[in-house]
Amino acid sequence: MYTQFLGNYLLQKGIVTKEQLFNAMSRLPQTHIKLGTIAIHEGLMTANEVDECLYVQTREDKRFGEIAVERGYLSDEQVNQLLAMQTPEFLLLGQNLVEDGVFSYEELERIMFDYRSEAELYDLSLDVENQEAVEAIISKFFLMAEIPPNELNIMYLELMFNSLIRFIGEDFTPLTPMVIEEFPVTFGVSQNIFSDHEFETHIDCDRETAIAFASRYAKEDFNEFNEYIVASMEDFLNLHNGLFIVNVSNQLSKDISLSPPEVIEDGILSGPNKCVDFPVEYPFGTVHLLVCF
Amino acid sequence: MDISSKKILVCDDSILARKQLMDAVKEIADGATFIEGKNGSEAVDLYKSEKPDLVFMDIVMPEKDGTTALAEIREYDKDAVIIIVSSVGTQEQLKKAIQLGAKDFIQKPFEKNQIKEIIELRLGGK
Repeated sequence: MYTQFLGNYLLQKGIVTKEQLFNAMSRLPQTHIKLGTIAIHEGLMTANEVDECLYVQTREDKRFGEIAVERGYLSDEQVNQLLAMQTPEFLLLGQNLVEDGVFSYEELERIMFDYRSEAELYDLSLDVENQEAVEAIISKFFLMAEIPPNELNIMYLELMFNSLIRFIGEDFTPLTPMVIEEFPVTFGVSQNIFSDHEFETHIDCDRETAIAFASRYAKEDFNEFNEYIVASMEDFLNLHNGLFIVNVSNQLSKDISLSPPEVIEDGILSGPNKCVDFPVEYPFGTVHLLVCF
Repeated sequence: MDISSKKILVCDDSILARKQLMDAVKEIADGATFIEGKNGSEAVDLYKSEKPDLVFMDIVMPEKDGTTALAEIREYDKDAVIIIVSSVGTQEQLKKAIQLGAKDFIQKPFEKNQIKEIIELRLGGK
């Protein structure tokens, strides 16, 4: 999971110009991944080894994979595995920039390493017990809700727990999720996500809990319920959903958009299809994370 | 750094996001005048009436989103210096912002040194 789109990262580091990036991005729909690029990404070959095989390829009429196997850099099995892999979109972008001569494979290898260490959000790696609990809860949820556990849905929920850990703290206990028809709202914020289908996420808690939640998120000591509390809750949800969309943009070519977050007080929440309540218990109170599909 | 003569427009529907951005700027440089907008329509109006030196703008906002406001401001003033600060740094959004003439695109949550670099580049030494 990434916190920043690769193109954005390259631009900010001054590695590419806007023109170079724009050129490389505009060709993405027609770009096919090369075995060498993905082998570097998977850590199976070094950039030098890829360059060597590419050089040999200009002299011998053989496939890249064949040459890499002959030279002992890859096994047949690894070649097949690499060919079957789904390619993250950011890797295609990197490959286009190499082809445009913006940087070499060797530089791409280093850039990827830095990008991963700076822009990757490690999957619930803070606490193994917590990670297992969350994974169990997510798989149980899909079973209960009779929703197909597709890649997007799983990514969304895992990221939600990651966002809680990252922005609020890891001292929470996930409670049992429930599928519900309607949810009585005390106070909370909602945001709609538009993709292949539309769904809505809502965060709900009482006002005292909201004050504590907001204080942690904004790293400020709030004492009373005011507009900053509401804004913090909205920001958290907006940031989480934004990161989700960046991840989807990095991994798959999907167009997803967000509506501005909204405050809901003392109403009833219902979705077109199903709503699921994921309660998490923090020392300061219970926060309900609701996803309405 | 002294940026006393400079005017900065901060446009975000979140009061907290506006405060955090202004706090970050104040930590790096003193004296700037801040103008705040809560949506894209306000950003366009404020730009025209106040002529700020620098604009920080979110994308997801009610009434008029940030990219629409960016396009309208650039149409009014092709030299406008607009920095997008958004949680939605996707390929599509980045492409759109670049095409429309944004000077930079910062992914939220931002780091203070990103703001520092922008202030130095865009407002320093003028």
